[in-house]
Amino acid sequence: MEQKISDYISASKNIKISDNSKNVKIAILSSFTINGLDECLKVKSAELNIRYSSFIAGYDQYNQEILDSNSSLYKFNPDITFLIIDIRKILGNFFHFAYSFSEQNRKDAINEKINQIKNLITTFQNNSEKKLVISIVNPGTSSPIGILENKSKFGFNDMINKFTSELINFSKEQNSLFFHDFDLFIRKYGERNVFDYRQFFIGDIQIAFDFLPYFANELMSYIKPTLGINRKCIVLDLDNTLWGGVVGEDGFDGIELGQTANGKAFVEFQKQLLSLWQQGIILAINSKNNFDEAIKVIKEHPEMILREKHFASFQINWDDKAENLNRISEEVNIGLNSIVFFDDDKINQERISNEFPEVLTIPLPNDPSQYVSILNNLNDFNVLQKTDEDFKRGQMYAEQRERKKLKKSVSNLDDFLKQLDIKIKIKKANQFLIPRISQLTLKTNQFNLTTKRYQENEIQKLSSDSKFDVYCAQVHDKFGDNGITGVYIVNKTEHSWIIDTFLLSCRIMGRGIEDALLSQILIDAKNAGVQQVEGEFIPTQKNEPAKNFLSEHGFKKENKYWIYTLNNEIRSPKHLKVEVE
Amino acid sequence: MTNQVNSIVAKVFSIPESSINDQSGPENIESWDSFNGLVLLDELESHFNVKFSISEISNVKNVSDIKECLKNHDVNIDE
Repeated sequence: MEQKISDYISASKNIKISDNSKNVKIAILSSFTINGLDECLKVKSAELNIRYSSFIAGYDQYNQEILDSNSSLYKFNPDITFLIIDIRKILGNFFHFAYSFSEQNRKDAINEKINQIKNLITTFQNNSEKKLVISIVNPGTSSPIGILENKSKFGFNDMINKFTSELINFSKEQNSLFFHDFDLFIRKYGERNVFDYRQFFIGDIQIAFDFLPYFANELMSYIKPTLGINRKCIVLDLDNTLWGGVVGEDGFDGIELGQTANGKAFVEFQKQLLSLWQQGIILAINSKNNFDEAIKVIKEHPEMILREKHFASFQINWDDKAENLNRISEEVNIGLNSIVFFDDDKINQERISNEFPEVLTIPLPNDPSQYVSILNNLNDFNVLQKTDEDFKRGQMYAEQRERKKLKKSVSNLDDFLKQLDIKIKIKKANQFLIPRISQLTLKTNQFNLTTKRYQENEIQKLSSDSKFDVYCAQVHDKFGDNGITGVYIVNKTEHSWIIDTFLLSCRIMGRGIEDALLSQILIDAKNAGVQQVEGEFIPTQKNEPAKNFLSEHGFKKENKYWIYTLNNEIRSPKHLKVEVE
Repeated sequence: MTNQVNSIVAKVFSIPESSINDQSGPENIESWDSFNGLVLLDELESHFNVKFSISEISNVKNVSDIKECLKNHDVNIDE
């Protein structure tokens, strides 16, 4: 349940945000009255420690704001612009009287409207490289010909469908353009709820007050991933979460999975989890159970959907759940703020939410039939773009579990590294790699010397600038492909190369890959004939692992910068193969 | 009930409850613009479980009008 709009308005006046918050600038352009949305977004951002600032265009002023290249919109330079247009104003007379026009007239009209909106989008993009999200608001539509509507040639519904589908196709062609599916929003909450004729007649309010907070949630789905805020890992209990009953008491054959109504709910929940895993969400188990009994169900139960290979970590024991969650976070090497916790037990929920407020603890009810819709309604897994690495992540983490097994069995670190058979391909940024490079700069917190965040268009600019080298590293070992997991950006000045960015995904830290990448920079710099390489360490709350990296590699501190003089010998790790493409 | 109306008005316009009387309205409450006026009525509707008509909404000019409206919906505001 959402709070009232008045609660958001009053809460928005007393917002306190800590200093280490992320900033976001949002513009709202709307063809109808949408007062109150700004306050909802502001409060919801503050809950995530986001410092929100906004530009709200005047009522139905979106054309002017976009068409005038000196407009306040462009001066504000928002990170995301939400363009929210209602179908009534787009269709004009066709909204009520579509059938007083010929089929050809209807077609011509809609084609003209499509061209207009496409031109508007293109004009926006010529003035801003930032993200544009379009939502076409169309509640209160009805057809005068009733059941024959879908028999008419290019009828009223066809006009709307054609308009939106053209916009959707247009957005598929462009990374910075997103189409928000308002129909899906209406389907979820119901037209009679979302559209209130009284509010519409009084003030051209087309999303009723009570549903503005829900609409704000939809828009938060774009804001969160823009700031790299998304959950990556779901930690699950077993008994009464993945199956019904308690395996320790009811036994292998006694648990509810498949067959019964409850059993079907658990199977459906597992299928939904599997589909998230296929999209790159990491799964892990945190359960109080006898390990052997529980793992037997996972491995052998005929109705289980999720199997051993889908989980990156198993904490199945009688230890404290919070302790186990910590172990998962360490084993998978993922921050607690990336974790979602599913457990049916209220006490466990409370234990985790008290101990780790940064974990998203789901208040799971006792009724398993609700699990699927709760999972479906989470908007915390969104990313703005999927890279190959994202899709494979679930699998990569399961491979990681195997790597750790090897590490345990080999006592000497050097022997372990040799056995891993690591190959690094260093690649210059190109169109295919830029999205992933940007994503790594936005998301990498631990092994990151400068923590500079770059959107795609910024990486694009740097990579086409001859003064900059933008490289990334693909890492492969005997257990599989780790994907693109390292990035460095070098600013090449005449006498000195400056390391602008140097980062490594945390899951491949400590295997000599960072050493190999740094020595590659030094070799390139030496070959280019410069005297020195400069590095900088900008401390954050999270990048402790990178703190001593430069000093350990022969850089000497001079004022703010760390300097490496290139007449020194350059050491490269021996246990891995490096290939520069 | 009277206090409930005043406290909702106070909350919506972010002003102290003590400063509100029956004559309070857009003229003497700065934040009472047309949008916040609608938010106020929306809040009253859910609080008292009533639905105002458009003409009722358009005719509300001050707190005393609100109380009159609520009376017409059988909300006993004198209790």
